[in-house]
Amino acid sequence: MNHDELREICDMYALGLAEPAEREEIERHLAEGSAETQALLRSAMAMATLLGAMTPEQAPPSRLRRAVSALVKPRGFSWMWLSALGGMAAALVAVVTWFHGQDQQRIHELVDARLELRRANLELARYQQAMRFLDSPETRLVGFGQGQQQQPRGNVFVNASGGVMLIAANLPQLAAGRTYEMWLIPRGQAPRPAGLFKVRADGSAVHILEGQVDTRSLGAVAVSDEPEAGSPAPSTTPIIVAPVSGL
Amino acid sequence: MILWLFPLLSVVLKFKDDSALVRRLRERDPAAMSDLYDRYGRIAYSLILRVVNNSAVAEDLVQETFLRVWNRVQAFDPERGALGPWVLTVARNRAIDYVRSVEGRNQPAALEIDRLEHPSLFRDFEADMMNAGRLRALAGAFGKLTDKQRTVIELAYYQGMSQTEIADRMQTPLGTVKTWARTALQLLRDEMSRVEAV
Repeated sequence: MNHDELREICDMYALGLAEPAEREEIERHLAEGSAETQALLRSAMAMATLLGAMTPEQAPPSRLRRAVSALVKPRGFSWMWLSALGGMAAALVAVVTWFHGQDQQRIHELVDARLELRRANLELARYQQAMRFLDSPETRLVGFGQGQQQQPRGNVFVNASGGVMLIAANLPQLAAGRTYEMWLIPRGQAPRPAGLFKVRADGSAVHILEGQVDTRSLGAVAVSDEPEAGSPAPSTTPIIVAPVSGL
Repeated sequence: MILWLFPLLSVVLKFKDDSALVRRLRERDPAAMSDLYDRYGRIAYSLILRVVNNSAVAEDLVQETFLRVWNRVQAFDPERGALGPWVLTVARNRAIDYVRSVEGRNQPAALEIDRLEHPSLFRDFEADMMNAGRLRALAGAFGKLTDKQRTVIELAYYQGMSQTEIADRMQTPLGTVKTWARTALQLLRDEMSRVEAV
């Protein structure tokens, strides 16, 4: 690879446009301490920064400064939401109590705890979204793969006004660069893409497609193994097909 | 003139003045966080809002951005590091991480994110890498891009899309998107190089 080719890949890398093989090449150069690659990547990052500086200016609300400043200042704690987080709340309270009034190194650790809490709140919001879906009286349930220990099994929940939720287990882990894609298959028509999702380490997954669904024409919900960017139509045999006729 | 057109540029061009602020952040001075926000809050908010197009989400992600900077500043070189470009990169990554998550797109590898915002990448930024002349050249070059080329660059920078995802979004063969991306970046780079050559 000559200098110009390396520069081009570094420019792509800084913008996130590099292909996996090119990313690996850059990573390898950096790991080997290539001064040329570091310099080119630094130049590419500078160009990316200038692109960011071309962004139209927007004035943030004044409360945002207070919020950012408060992130690293010891302060009182709101207990309202802790009940929703159970055991984690107790751990957090212990952390807050322990670090309150301590030195600035402790403040650093408190910030880490708050960041974890923010992530936990995001996860909680996702579960609440799923619960609202399940609670709706319009939601209809279709199982698939029941009684099969090794193959994917689970349930599809269909709600005409809310969308489709898939809860699956026993999904195989996919190769690098691959992802699962859900499909809605209207009777007599081609499958329609219904979103990409990942599988957890234990083989389970929850995926929600929000929006109205024509339950009268919907024939099946399917899942297939696709390239990481998704496909306009299934490119492999679906690993899950859940017939949903007659809902 | 160029600073009037791009007011955020004046912020990132002052990265050479940040060494004292970085030292205070490394010493865990809480007041330094407020000063960091005063310097870079507006540019971080503007960029994040441009990506997520939701002010409430943008506020949340700005907080995550500054937390991340605070948590990682120990690895940042106060004398040779470019704080503004680093903050901007962290902000962009937080925003893109969010939109990819919301849209159900695959997340980039954690290693890739960490590498792109690792403090070592922002050391020894030279003044000639980022100056008003280069931005003027970049803005001029941006105007010379075709609509397709500009869309590819914007989808990459503001939405964090891969070339494959862009091809899917634009319903265009991947090879064509790669050509647009390569020629666009070449044009931007060439125009900025002319500034260096003058």
